Amino acid sequence: MRSRFKRSIFFVEKHYLLLLAPLLVFVAAIALYPLLFSFYISFFKYRLTDPNQARTFLGLANYINAFHDKTVVTAIRNTFVFVAGTVSIELVLGLGLALLFSGKSRGMRVMRSFLIIPMALPSLVVGLVWKSLYNVDFGVIPYYLKQLGLDMGRGPLGEIKLAMPAVILIDIWQWTPLVMIIFLAGLKSLPREPYEAARVDGASRWQSFWRITLPLLKPTILIVLLLRTMQGFKVFDIIYAATGGGPGTATTVLNYHIYTVGMVFFKMGYAAALANILLIIVAVLAVLYIIVLQRQQI
Amino acid sequence: MLIILALLFFMLPVYWLMTTAFKFGRDAFAIPPKWLLFDFTFKNFQDIWENSQTPRYLLNSIIVSAGATLLSLLLGVPAGYAIARSKSAIINASAYFFLLLLMIPPIAMLIPFYLVMRNLHLLGGYAALIILDAIFDAAFVAWMMRSYFQDAPREMEEAALVDGASPLRAFLSIALPHSLPGVAASALYCIIFSWNDFLFALMLTSPRTKTIPLGIMASFSSVEINWGEMAAMSLIAITPALIIALFLNRYFVQGLTMGSARG
Repeated sequence: MRSRFKRSIFFVEKHYLLLLAPLLVFVAAIALYPLLFSFYISFFKYRLTDPNQARTFLGLANYINAFHDKTVVTAIRNTFVFVAGTVSIELVLGLGLALLFSGKSRGMRVMRSFLIIPMALPSLVVGLVWKSLYNVDFGVIPYYLKQLGLDMGRGPLGEIKLAMPAVILIDIWQWTPLVMIIFLAGLKSLPREPYEAARVDGASRWQSFWRITLPLLKPTILIVLLLRTMQGFKVFDIIYAATGGGPGTATTVLNYHIYTVGMVFFKMGYAAALANILLIIVAVLAVLYIIVLQRQQI
Repeated sequence: MLIILALLFFMLPVYWLMTTAFKFGRDAFAIPPKWLLFDFTFKNFQDIWENSQTPRYLLNSIIVSAGATLLSLLLGVPAGYAIARSKSAIINASAYFFLLLLMIPPIAMLIPFYLVMRNLHLLGGYAALIILDAIFDAAFVAWMMRSYFQDAPREMEEAALVDGASPLRAFLSIALPHSLPGVAASALYCIIFSWNDFLFALMLTSPRTKTIPLGIMASFSSVEINWGEMAAMSLIAITPALIIALFLNRYFVQGLTMGSARG
């Protein structure tokens, strides 16, 4: 609703500002200050384990070192593998589930609410449950695979080649239902006319899916891509619970590595620099996401 | 057929968790796995309850969730109202600022926040965890309540304003009482996210203030991994969030699509 009067962009109502002010002050003090501090500290060598708590100015060294640090490079590569694997599979599977569960019957509604369960669970618990399902000695999954003649060696989480796919599967299990629900909303908002026209023209269901549904769903697909990519960069609990980044560095993603550098080795300056790199990646995605979201609705 | 396959894939791990909580160790790890026929027992629950730490973890989780939720509502609801009703471009735009804030990677916030709290000697208490949870929760509440108030009828408020009431009065005595369903939904969402939070609690709590997810981890890192107890404690940990999420459904999903999944 546009106001009838042309107002200065600096116009604010005193009363509404008063209602907004507490949250603004809180955010400025609790979020902005630490973020600025993190920016500042990322130019220093600052180790909490140092008895003198010395901060040595390094300039851009922390940022430059990051790209020569083997673990960081591995972590970034793992992050991209994780994000690409989870997002692509969740996109296809989520759309499939949405088509499968789009019915209006009571039974469908009940089944849909069952599918919400995985995403309501704490990711930590999800990671632990799968860790035990994957366990090589008594886990259910290696047992049945062995029955089928597949021997997994040290188990899905113990083998370097299998660990990342195994972790990706955990994420798919927890978050595909979310993708399904976003697609369900997208499907619901599709117009009916093109389908009726296609039916009259004798198009098969397969054809109308490829020629009508998919093109019309493009905005929804974009939203899912951006949202899940952004969330993929933030994965932590699942990795912590299931693998701890291992075996070796096979499942060490950037987010998890920052935690290790900062909160296990207490190299705060370096951790802050790495965190800022992650922050920039996610911020770009977030801005894109908000722009797409805005264009979609309202 | 595909429907059954999909349901099996998504429900079997949940079923496994729930049954393991009621199994003796010998049945939990029986090979071949026992899906249906096992000796039912409450022993795991008895054990974790007699372990003096569990009630403590529960209490801590309740304190942190309640604190973060109250603080978020106190800050977020008025802010959401102001954004919804104001005609100022700056105030309206602040909604996007809060939305962006929601999407910040938790670790990027946690590292500097940890240092700040350390300097203030607030590490290990409830305050640090409640405040950091509340940042994300309050930003979400402001955004949620903004759309709630935008959809709410404003005739009564406008009538009060014409009668000379201040916008503050209109908010407190008219808009707020009529928006309780929205406030309740926001509150439940905040509770879920504080209850499920692990990373923040991991870094900011001390043994005295550990929450349930840390309790689960603790039952894990002891000498002998007790999966039955882990499952029993997980079951306690997931129950509130599960009930709330099934209740909230639409709001819950909206929260997740705001990009704030801290998983």
